[in-house]
Amino acid sequence: MDLKQQTSAAPTPALLTVSPSPHARRGMTTASVMRDVLIALIPATVWGCYVFGWRAALVVLISVVSAVLFEMLTQLILHRTVTVADCSAAVTGLLLGLNLSSAVPLYVPVVGAAFAIIVVKQLLGGIGKNIMNPALAARVFLMLAWTDGMTQYPAAYDYAFDAVASATPLMSLKSGVMPEGVGLLELFFGKTGGCIGEVSVLMLLIGGVYLLCRRVIRWHIPVAMLGTVALLTFLFPLPLADAFNATLAERLTFMTSSLCSGGLMLGAIFMATDYVTSPVTDVGRLIYGVGCGLLVVFIRYFGGYNEGVSFAILIMNALVWYLDMATKPRVYGKDRRAHKKA
Amino acid sequence: MFGNLKYTFRGGTHVNEHKDTAGLQTVRLPEPATVSVPLSQHIGAHAKPVVQKGDTVAVGQVIGVVENGLGCPVHASVSGTVKEILTRHNAQGIPVQNVVIENDGLHTMSKDIKPWGKPLEETTTEEIVQIVRDAGISGLGGATFPTYAKIQSAVGKATSVIINCAECEPYITANHRLLLERSYAVIQGLEVLMHALNVKEGLLAVEDNKPDAIELLQKAVADKPNIRVCVMKTKYPQGDERQIVYALYHKEVPAGKLPADVGCMIINAETAAAISRAFYRGLPLVSRIVTVAGDCVKNPQNVRAPLGASYRELIDFCGGCVKEPKKLVSGGPMMGQAQWDMDAPVTNGTSALLVFSEEYDRINTEHSPCIHCGCCVQHCPMHLLPNYLAQYAQARRYDDAAKLDVMSCVECGTCSYNCPAGVQIVQYIRVAKGALRAKK
Repeated sequence: MDLKQQTSAAPTPALLTVSPSPHARRGMTTASVMRDVLIALIPATVWGCYVFGWRAALVVLISVVSAVLFEMLTQLILHRTVTVADCSAAVTGLLLGLNLSSAVPLYVPVVGAAFAIIVVKQLLGGIGKNIMNPALAARVFLMLAWTDGMTQYPAAYDYAFDAVASATPLMSLKSGVMPEGVGLLELFFGKTGGCIGEVSVLMLLIGGVYLLCRRVIRWHIPVAMLGTVALLTFLFPLPLADAFNATLAERLTFMTSSLCSGGLMLGAIFMATDYVTSPVTDVGRLIYGVGCGLLVVFIRYFGGYNEGVSFAILIMNALVWYLDMATKPRVYGKDRRAHKKA
Repeated sequence: MFGNLKYTFRGGTHVNEHKDTAGLQTVRLPEPATVSVPLSQHIGAHAKPVVQKGDTVAVGQVIGVVENGLGCPVHASVSGTVKEILTRHNAQGIPVQNVVIENDGLHTMSKDIKPWGKPLEETTTEEIVQIVRDAGISGLGGATFPTYAKIQSAVGKATSVIINCAECEPYITANHRLLLERSYAVIQGLEVLMHALNVKEGLLAVEDNKPDAIELLQKAVADKPNIRVCVMKTKYPQGDERQIVYALYHKEVPAGKLPADVGCMIINAETAAAISRAFYRGLPLVSRIVTVAGDCVKNPQNVRAPLGASYRELIDFCGGCVKEPKKLVSGGPMMGQAQWDMDAPVTNGTSALLVFSEEYDRINTEHSPCIHCGCCVQHCPMHLLPNYLAQYAQARRYDDAAKLDVMSCVECGTCSYNCPAGVQIVQYIRVAKGALRAKK
């Protein structure tokens, strides 16, 4: 019969695979997300290396390599599946490297990567289980341990690496003076002293737009965080000499320099949006972003440190579960009030 | 811009459609040598056989009846001799009695088949319910709820009848082809239902990925002031009754209630066509349209198959497999059941047969821990927190899951579909729901 001949070109196994539905996937994976983050960080990394020279590249490289190695090592020792292929350790390492000054001793990124990967990530249960952003926790740990090394930044284009602590724009802003010799354009393009990855607002924004377009991050957290900082610094430019009578132009300049200096952009786009340590609901993300923004401004104004982004994000990390539960959406077909009673 | 506003709902996701069979004419399956008709094809009680081995049966003859409880009779889908009555697992893995009929190929029609004598205007609701029940019609969209019971429960409550032509599952084009080829039957079925429920509003809810069907329906109902065509945005799971109610009326079906409780009677397009066939021609439900597709199938197309024909028969009719099959899914890829062999029979609920290769299925084999990205939350059509539900289920903290309304989950699978970590979120939720149900 013809029917028989034209059928079953391929052999059929006796038993087929049974699995629960759905039998289709969108195709986005953890690894693809992490790769996208790495790609989005390329512009800022390249710019950092351009401004601070080969030593910046070395610091970043050491940070990435040691993060990946520590991840592999811990997983081998703990008899876990080695998952360095998902690039999440590389992202942590890169973010940590970008958060360091190019003048740090070369063992600092190694210690930082060890703290981030072993203590914060793997000992808390591995990917998805950490309660704080590993790179930020490591940065804060390093700042407490090597305060001098971590807060001395070479000036831009200072390829001699003598780590002469040039005043960063943030230090000037804190004392209420506009950064000397550093215009808004220099801040925006990143021709200032600072951490390797945080100096160029433009490059960070390019990465952020890429992440938004690839739907890796959503707008809620960065917009809420940056918006809060913008609003507060515009309405209350406290460090300025005559804060309450500041002119519109002064306020605008102060606001823009505050937005463009320090680790704010890097934090808002790449650190606060870390999936594991940010809320899952849209409302929760807005509140989380606003909270980060408030804390950043408070620490910058009143804290002992010039910079508050790391602390702000780490503090908000602790609130994620509560934010998720407090902002859970009203379930279809359920009354919010009736729900609370149950 | 406002001309483009379409009916839709919050949540959900646009799934890669793969509706390649939409342009192909539905083909009738050649008479199979034997059919194995399951005596339970719907939610509710199993039917008891009323024929014995060796009996001669005709097409449409009753071979199983439900004496008590929710259920409707089962009919022979071919004419011939009853070879045996055996028990085998159905597509859901539940053992069910099957009547195996050897086909004599004559297609002798049962003498009981005759059109309902009275015109629609003189028929009462009870009579229509009886006709639908006797015809053995249950929801052909896949949920297989006995249709007569659905009509009964909506009497006096429903203010509109909605024909669900969303067909939001990827690959499936059975309803699309039905609308193109037999739209009159769907509209007749809608009119029968509107008469039975005494409602003045009939809606045909179609997703906007079927422009040809929409145009055809709009022309067909142009002279019927009570019937409208509603174009909905293509988004999974638009075909879920709750999402249709929300899309069309911006009303939510309260948890634990039915669409009828908010005045909507929703019925699948093919079910409506079956009702029309039963009313105007007296034909019971003995066949259905099945979309045979997937990357293994040589000639994907829609096949009208008698109930009880084996899956293998349909796949072979479509040219068999060009690649080694790994998975056979009965139903759509989002909610269908994977089968362990190809010998299960076609039933009321078999809207599609999808054969997937290793290559296609590889995406389903990668699993890693949840990274808390919130994709499942963003896309959940019921606005749950699927990631937390899955974590509670993993930790067996079912009561905590219940506090987060795990029972409201419709198991559409949108969460698992979107999960970058490959967590089988919906399966964890099913486990939690099962455990909570068992506790009660």
